[in-house]
Amino acid sequence: MSPFEKAWSPYIAGILIGLLQIPAFLIIETALGASSSYVTVGAGIAGLFDSSLFNIDYVARHVTANAKNLWQVALVAGIGFGAFASMKMSGAARASISPIWAKALGTSSTGSRYAVAFAAGFLMLFGARIADGCTSGHGLSGMAQLSVGSTVAVAAMFVGGIATASLLLRRI
Amino acid sequence: MSVAVGIISGLLMGVVFGFALEKSRVFEPGMIVGQMQLRNWIMLKVFLSAVATGAVVLAFLNGFGLVKLQPKAALYAADIVGGLILGAGIALAGACPGTTLAQIGVGYRDAIFTLLGGLAGAVAFSYAQPWLAKSLIGTGPKLIFTDFAGIPYWQGALALAAAIVVILVLIERLRRWRDDLGADVDGNGAEKTSQSRSRLAPAE
Repeated sequence: MSPFEKAWSPYIAGILIGLLQIPAFLIIETALGASSSYVTVGAGIAGLFDSSLFNIDYVARHVTANAKNLWQVALVAGIGFGAFASMKMSGAARASISPIWAKALGTSSTGSRYAVAFAAGFLMLFGARIADGCTSGHGLSGMAQLSVGSTVAVAAMFVGGIATASLLLRRI
Repeated sequence: MSVAVGIISGLLMGVVFGFALEKSRVFEPGMIVGQMQLRNWIMLKVFLSAVATGAVVLAFLNGFGLVKLQPKAALYAADIVGGLILGAGIALAGACPGTTLAQIGVGYRDAIFTLLGGLAGAVAFSYAQPWLAKSLIGTGPKLIFTDFAGIPYWQGALALAAAIVVILVLIERLRRWRDDLGADVDGNGAEKTSQSRSRLAPAE
């Protein structure tokens, strides 16, 4: 598992990710998660244009500049830096769009891909916020804690993902 | 704990998280879409390894009384409806909320639109939250599976980790992880490389 290799065993990488629960629980007293940070940043920006948004309790809770909210924003930003560093060290540079999209979408138009990506991001976060968690919060953390609700959410996530990828996307 | 400690520890943990996501290749759209089309198993392998590790870690930390568990409330309607929408988004994005940033980090431009869509989705939810909280989400108990069995969490967590190890050994036997990488480690054409390899096998 040298940092200069392009690919590590998924088991080694998974163990490393799982170990991050130690500092998350010990330092921040929370579990790994990613999707609430979108509310902190998104509603934080939208509130500059419509300050009535901050009157919603849910929003006020998420945009408060406390350690837990900003920890998650920093965590998600850090993911970008870590992936960039890893890519630079191994030289696994990427094209601007993954070649699988031309196959999956049946078109190589970048405009179509950008539109699908925007809609997909919207669905992802709208759904994650309804469910109160994403692949990290419900998946990694909820299942490790044997949470009943998280297990239901993860099952629904895979059902929705498999149905969409099979019915709406072409074979990659 | 101060805000500065939160931000610095978040950044450091995020860098490790992003590094591991990139090395495992699980952030690749080809791996996520491939998993959802049941033809690529790297996502499940990374995911279950991380869950099992987290379970072992928390079995110790919680078992020795060092930390409290933080399970989310069981809100079945919201978990199912939200989970289905989230899953559809993951398939079309070829990413999850966390790995979207890893995609941006390595230079996938479409991931910037995934991020912007995600922020818009979070804002739309924020406006709808007061209504959705009453009509769909509601409230629920913070239920964990060992509550039903009346055993301590750490026993259930270690049992889950053991079960996951068995499942992963079986999946790896059916499909080796290297066969799912593809020539450019992006999950593209992974099936072809493994087929040609197995076709070559008798000649070797």
